[in-house]
Amino acid sequence: MDSTIVILAICDGISYAALVFLVSVGLSLIFGVLRIVNVAHGSLYAYGAYMAATLSLLVAPISPWLTFPALLVASVLVGAIVGGLMERFLLRPVYHLEEVLQLLITFAVFMIMDNLQRMIWGVQPIFAAEPVKLLPNISILGVNYTSYQVLLLPLVAVITLFGLRYFLRYTLAGSIIMAVTEDREAATAIGIDARRVFLITFIIGASLAALGGALASPTTSLVPGMGTDMIVLSFAVAATAGLGQIEGAAVTALMIGLARAFIIYIQPELEVLVPYLIMMLVLLIRPMGLFGVNRVRKI
Amino acid sequence: MLVFDKINVSIAGVHVLRNVSFDLPAGSTCALVGHNGAGKTTTVRTIMGFTTSRGVIRLAGEDISPVEPHRRPALGIGYAPEDRRLFSAFTVEENLLLPARVAKLSKDETARRLERAYWVMPELKELAGRPAGSVSGGQGKMVALGRALMLGTRLVILDEPFQGLAPVLAQRYAEALGRLRANDKDITLLITESNPKLVAAFADITLTIERGEIQ
Repeated sequence: MDSTIVILAICDGISYAALVFLVSVGLSLIFGVLRIVNVAHGSLYAYGAYMAATLSLLVAPISPWLTFPALLVASVLVGAIVGGLMERFLLRPVYHLEEVLQLLITFAVFMIMDNLQRMIWGVQPIFAAEPVKLLPNISILGVNYTSYQVLLLPLVAVITLFGLRYFLRYTLAGSIIMAVTEDREAATAIGIDARRVFLITFIIGASLAALGGALASPTTSLVPGMGTDMIVLSFAVAATAGLGQIEGAAVTALMIGLARAFIIYIQPELEVLVPYLIMMLVLLIRPMGLFGVNRVRKI
Repeated sequence: MLVFDKINVSIAGVHVLRNVSFDLPAGSTCALVGHNGAGKTTTVRTIMGFTTSRGVIRLAGEDISPVEPHRRPALGIGYAPEDRRLFSAFTVEENLLLPARVAKLSKDETARRLERAYWVMPELKELAGRPAGSVSGGQGKMVALGRALMLGTRLVILDEPFQGLAPVLAQRYAEALGRLRANDKDITLLITESNPKLVAAFADITLTIERGEIQ
């Protein structure tokens, strides 16, 4: 294989893995605490992207550099408002239901949000590439690549990984989330309001999905259905890593991102297949995922 | 101190507690004894608000029935569940401190309560830095008691604390309860147990529950 193609595939893989990691770690965090597989997570990615593009187009005439904070503001807005409302009014009433019913309900929420998205932003592609243009291209062994994708995106992913780990391990709010994750009733017995923890965790997870979408928005045209692609892929990453595994999601996102990028150059028609092939192989051998651990199920 | 007034609990359509009533004076040590499935754990889980119950529960005269489960520990209730349920991601001392941090106790108050837990169970000091997931079952029971003591200033509930303990550890656990009782005469202890002989030595009140009814 040509070395240029290898470098391009590595850059593509790393930048894509960064986005997939942000979405899948949010999905994994929500599952770890709330024990709910949120199919509507993909909508939060799409809403993050659309909101970021809307804000970017709004602030770019004032100063193109304002598009960077716009990406962050969009993530927080979508995470806090859309995520907060989703948890409070759509998911909270179904926590006591069977898992399969929860899954169906989050799927219904996903469909509703997808249609709402079409009503708000329409079906025509939206472009808002300002942040990518503002940062220079860099040359890697003679191959030019945007520093936005090959440096900024992985940097945000790494900061998120370590930030999340620090937050969960060394802050009181993080310790409370860890306690609820491990045993909701025991956590309540020491005074923790599990419902509040669910809401906060969902907002964090939703913000991460929206951040993934916001960061992706300058690199692609926004079209309906972008959330579907991402939720399926991020679910594959989360399931391959083992649901609830943060570091595992990072490693798996990188693995799947690189595999997908290489296959695009080698055998493009297999692009869609490869992530799920990896997931299937891993789950056949280790049903709990690469980094998951067997738990004794409490009944 | 703790009053149960005609408490009824149904779980999945099964009537588990039937008109359970009792009144525990402050400073008493009560043993709630009964066979497996008699309703002991449901009784203590009802005090903690983990079941849907009918009837009135009073703590120091206050009706706590409408109080949300996560607000009950702040009333001075400490609870050590039957199966320990420690947070394995934390060390033993972090398990002890977390309730105080959640309750936003002052540093001095936290230190005082931690000191009390260590005084009652000196073994915990040696385990302080160990991951909670690595301690033995018996040690875990001690840690669960220590954690309950961090919030239990009025009422400490111990669900089957002696179950599965080796005789030596059961002896140490009983000694720890003796120290707690001697040190704090106002605290109310509610201990559930299948084997009445194990608690006969230090219980002032023994309630027998069978098929969800106090005998």
